[in-house]
Amino acid sequence: MNPVLLLGRRNLASSRLRVGLTGLAVMAGVAFVVASFVLSDGLRATFNQIVEDVSADIDATVRATGDFAEVTFQAQTIDEGVLDIVSAVDSVEEALPALTSSKIVPIDGNGEAIETLGPPILAANQQDSPTSAVMLEEGELPDGPGEFAIDFTSAGTYGFEISQSYDIVGVEGREPFTLVGTTRFGEDNALAGAVLMTFTLDEVQRLDGNDGKINSIDVTAESGVSPDELIADLEAALPAGLEAVGSDVIVDEGQEDFGATVDIFGNVLLAFALVSVFVSTFIIANTFNILLGQRIRQLALIRALGASRRQVLLAALLEAFIVGVIASVIGLAVGVGLAYGLRAIMNSFGFNLPGLELVISARTIMTALAVGIGVSLASALTPSRRAARVPPVAAMREGYRYGSGEGTRRTIIAIILAVPGVTGIAVSLFGSIDSTPLLLLLLGGGAVLVFISVTMFAPLFSTPSARFLGAPLERLPWLGITGHMARENSSSDNKRTARTAAGLMIGLALIAMATVVASSLKDSYRSTLGSTLTADFLISPPNGGTGFSTELVDAVAALPELDPVSSTRLGNIRVNGNEHDVRATDLALLTNLWDLEVISGDPATNAGPDVVSIHESVANDLNLAVGDELDIEFAATGTKTFTVNAIYENAFLISNYLIDKSAWDQNFSLNEDISIVASVAEGVEIEAAASALDELNAAFPQLNFETGAEYSDRLEGQLDSLVIVINVFLGLAILIAFLGIANTMALSVLERTREIGLMRAVGMTRRQTRAMIRWEAAVVSLFGALLGVVVGLVFGWVAVQAIAIDQFAIPVSSLVLYVLVATLAGLIAASFPARRASRLNVLDAIHQL
Amino acid sequence: MAGFAGITTEQDSGPQAAGTMAATATRLTKLYGEGNTQVVALDAVDIGFEAGKLTAIMGPSGSGKSTLLHCVAGLDSVTDGEVRVGDTLISDLSDQELTLLRRDRMGFIFQAFNLVPNLTAEENILLPLLLGGREPDPEWQKRVIDSLGLDERLHHRPDELSGGQQQRVAVARALMSRPAIIYADEPTGNLDTNSGQEVLGFLRRAVDDWGQTVVMVTHDPGAASHADLVVFLRDGQLVGRLEKPTPDLVLDRIRALEA
Repeated sequence: MNPVLLLGRRNLASSRLRVGLTGLAVMAGVAFVVASFVLSDGLRATFNQIVEDVSADIDATVRATGDFAEVTFQAQTIDEGVLDIVSAVDSVEEALPALTSSKIVPIDGNGEAIETLGPPILAANQQDSPTSAVMLEEGELPDGPGEFAIDFTSAGTYGFEISQSYDIVGVEGREPFTLVGTTRFGEDNALAGAVLMTFTLDEVQRLDGNDGKINSIDVTAESGVSPDELIADLEAALPAGLEAVGSDVIVDEGQEDFGATVDIFGNVLLAFALVSVFVSTFIIANTFNILLGQRIRQLALIRALGASRRQVLLAALLEAFIVGVIASVIGLAVGVGLAYGLRAIMNSFGFNLPGLELVISARTIMTALAVGIGVSLASALTPSRRAARVPPVAAMREGYRYGSGEGTRRTIIAIILAVPGVTGIAVSLFGSIDSTPLLLLLLGGGAVLVFISVTMFAPLFSTPSARFLGAPLERLPWLGITGHMARENSSSDNKRTARTAAGLMIGLALIAMATVVASSLKDSYRSTLGSTLTADFLISPPNGGTGFSTELVDAVAALPELDPVSSTRLGNIRVNGNEHDVRATDLALLTNLWDLEVISGDPATNAGPDVVSIHESVANDLNLAVGDELDIEFAATGTKTFTVNAIYENAFLISNYLIDKSAWDQNFSLNEDISIVASVAEGVEIEAAASALDELNAAFPQLNFETGAEYSDRLEGQLDSLVIVINVFLGLAILIAFLGIANTMALSVLERTREIGLMRAVGMTRRQTRAMIRWEAAVVSLFGALLGVVVGLVFGWVAVQAIAIDQFAIPVSSLVLYVLVATLAGLIAASFPARRASRLNVLDAIHQL
Repeated sequence: MAGFAGITTEQDSGPQAAGTMAATATRLTKLYGEGNTQVVALDAVDIGFEAGKLTAIMGPSGSGKSTLLHCVAGLDSVTDGEVRVGDTLISDLSDQELTLLRRDRMGFIFQAFNLVPNLTAEENILLPLLLGGREPDPEWQKRVIDSLGLDERLHHRPDELSGGQQQRVAVARALMSRPAIIYADEPTGNLDTNSGQEVLGFLRRAVDDWGQTVVMVTHDPGAASHADLVVFLRDGQLVGRLEKPTPDLVLDRIRALEA
C-alpha cells in the first residue's frame, strides 16, 4: 500500500476524538448550508403545489389588464357587472367573482384588533362552489350579512370560537359579526401566518369600501370546451381594459411571486450559513495546526526515514480530505434535520410555514460536498505545508517548534489582504454599483479578507492583550496561582490565542455591527421624526400599508381639542414613464404639521387640484423650479399638467411628490387615508386631546393612535425584534466558534498532559485544574469578543456612513452584555476539556512522552 | 506504628533499625492487568522509610522500584495492603485528600519535566505553597534558594535554564514546604555527571543539615552511594538492604542479585 495513504489513514484512526472534534465544525457549517437549501427548496415545492391546487379546477380568470395600478401592492378592481358579460358567454359553465381586501380586521374576544408578525390579514368573498380554494372545516360557510368564517389555524391562534359574536373593523368602522364556521385554505391551510376571513361578496365590498367592485372572475368551461377555446370566447366578449388568462398563467404568476419570496428567504439563510462556514474554516485551520504540531516528532521521524516533503504534505492533506468527506456526508443528513428544526423554530415564532416537501437536489449534495471538502482542504493547506517543512533533525531534538520567525511575513500578507478587502467594502458601499450580486460579492469578499487580515494581525498584540485582560485573575483571592497560570497559558502562544479567538471575533463583529447600525438607525429616526413631525399625534395602521376610511379624519377634525388636522393618502403615478409614489394631503395645512424644510416656494400657494410640491432630488433630476409645469400620469385619468409650487429638502416618511387631496379626488377612484397627523388646539392640554382621541381609537381599534414618541418607540421595538432574529441566526456561527474554543482547549489539554500531571502531582486539586482551564478559555474568549466588538464598531461606522444615517450610536450596554455573555460562554465551553484535564491519571500524565 | 519499624526483607527479617518512620508500607501489593496478562508489580512488600534519612531504592528494570515509590507517594493506587505517611493511612484516601497530602506534606523530584514551562523558576519553587494559598516563609525561602545557588535564576523560565539548574529548582520546590518526605524518582537520570553530583549533594545536605527525609529511586550505584540505606527490589519483592553504601558495595550487591 502507498505509505502516504497508509499514514493518512492511521493518523485518522489513532486520533478519532481529535478528528471528530475537527469534523464537527465542518459538519455544522455544511449542515447549515444544506438546511438553507432544503428549507427553501422544500418551501418552494410546497408553495408551488399550493398554487397549483388552488387553481386546479379553474380554466380561466378574467381580470383588468395593465400593470399600472393607481395604488401599489393592491390588486386592481373591475366592475361587478362584468360578471354578467362573462356568464353570458356560451362556453362558460360557471363564473365566480373574487374580491380580496386587506382593510378588514377582526377584533378578538379580548377586544383587541388582531395583529400578525407581518403576514397580511385578508378578507375574501366566500365562493359557494366545489372549485373554491377555501373549504369548510367546521360549522357553516357565511351566506348572509353579519356572518363570517375564519381559517381554522387563525381561529386557534387568536382564540375565535364558532357561533360567538366578534366585532369586525371595516373602512366604515367597527360592527358586530357572528363567526359561523372555520375554513381550510387548500389541503394544508398553508397560509404562512396570514389570517384569512371569508364573507359574502356584498359584505366584503361594503367593509372594503368597494361597492360594486371585484378583483377578478374565476371561470370554468362547459365540458368539451378546451381552455384555449374558452379564453378566445371570453376575450371576444370582454370590453377593453379586461383580459382572460388561463390557469397556467395564474399558476406561473403565483409561483413566481412565492418563488421570489422564498428566494429572498433562502438567500438570507444562506448568507448566515456562509458566515458559519467561514467561522468553521478558522476553527479547522487552527485544529489542523495544533494536530500537526503535536505530531512534529512523528513527521520528523518519517522525514528522517526517507519520506519526501511532498509525501508528508499529501498525507496531511489526505487526512483533511477524508475529514471533509465524512463531515459533508454527515452534514448533509444533519442539515436535512436542521431544516425541519428551523421550520419548527420559525413556526413557534408564528410564521406558520406549511409542511415541507423533502427536496434534496443535486445542487444541495454538490454544494455540501464542495463546502465540506473545500473548507477542510483549504484550511489544512497552510498547516500541512508547515508540517512538510519540519526538518528530519526535529525527531531527535526536544522542543522544536515550527512556525517561528514568520511574524514579518505574516504581517505583510495581512496588509496585502487588507487592501483589497477594504477597497471591496468601500467600492460596494460608496461606489455606484447597480448589480446586486456583484455588490454582495464585493461586500462579502471584502469582509472575508478583512477578517482574515485581522486574524493575521492579531498575533502582534494577542499576548499583551491576553496578559492585560487576564490581569484581574491574579487578584481573585480564590484563584491565586491558578488564576496566574490561566493568565500565563492564555498569553503564552500569541498565534494560538489569536487563532482560537478568531471565530468568536467574527461572530461578535457581525453582531456588534448589526447592533450599532440598528441603534444608529433608531437614534437617527427618533431625532429626524422629532424635528420633522411638528404635529402631536400620528394615526396609522400597524403595518403601514392598509388604508382606512376618510371619515376618520373628519371625525378627528371635528374634535375641538385638535387643530389643525390632516390626513395623507398614498398612490401611484407616472412621471416621464417611471412609476413613483405620490402623497396626497391638505397642502394648505401641511407646513403646520410637518417640517418639510421647504427650500423655495410654499406648498400652501394655490393649494388645489393642479399644483404639486416636489423633493429637491426630483427638482434636480428634472431641472424644475417653482412655477414650472410638470406632467403627471394617473392610472385612472391619464396625464394631467401640474404647476410646481414648492421644493422641499426633507422627504422623511413622505414621498418625493406631494399633491392636494382635491387633486387626488379628481384622479383616483380609491378613497382611503393611510395616516392622520393632528396637533393639539391652542390652550388644550395634550392629555385632554389624547382622551378625546381614545373614543375614536375604540371605533378604529386596528389603528395606532400615537404621539411622535410612541410612534418612534413602536418602530424601535420592531427594529429590536429584527436585531434579535439576526442575532439568533448569527448565534449558530457563534456556537461553532465556541465549539472551536472547546476544541482548542481540549487539544491544549492533550498537549499539556505532562504539565498537568506534574501540577497534579505536586498538589493541584481537580477543582483548581478545572478552574485553570476554564479561566484560560475565558481570557481567550474575552480577547476574541473585544476584538470582534472593535471590528464590529468599525464595520458599523462604515455601514452607517454608507446608508447615510446621520447619527452614529454605540449601544454600550448591549455590547458590554455581549462581551460578558461571550466570556461566560467561553468559560462554559471549556468545561468538557477542563473536566478531562482534572480526571487525567497523574502517573500516566507525567510519564507521557 | 508502634512495634513496627525498619525494613523487612526475605533475607533479613531480624530486629528493626531504630528511629521514627516517615512512611511505611504493609503487605503492599500492586497488580497490573487481569487474567493471563496479569503482572505482579509489588508482591506483599513490607517497608518503612526512616525519618531524617536518605533511602535509595534500587533494582533492575521492572523490579517494581518506581511502582513502590508511586504507591508510597499516593500517586498510584494499591491493590492490597496499607500505606501510611506519618500517622495517615493513605491507601483509602480520596483523590482530593491525596492531592492535599501531596501538596502539603510531600515533595517531588522527577527524572524529567519537573517544571511548569509557563512559570518562572521562583513561581515553580513556590507552586505547592501557592496552590494551597499559603504564604511562604521568607527566611526559609532565602535559605533554600541560597543554598541551591538559584538566586540569580529566579525570574527565568524553565526553558532558559540548564538541565542541572532545572533539577535544582525542582529540589528547591520539594524543600520549600518542609515536607514530611521527599520522593525523588531517578532525579539524576537526565543529568550529566557534574550536575547529578550537585543535585545528590543538595539532597544529602537537606538530610544532614535540615533533617529532611528523602526516598530516592535510582539505578545508578554512584547515586545510591549517597544514601544512608539502599534497599534492593527484584520481581516486586525486597531482596536486600545495604547500610552505609559505597559505589563498589552497591555494584557488588547488584551483581550478586543478577547472578
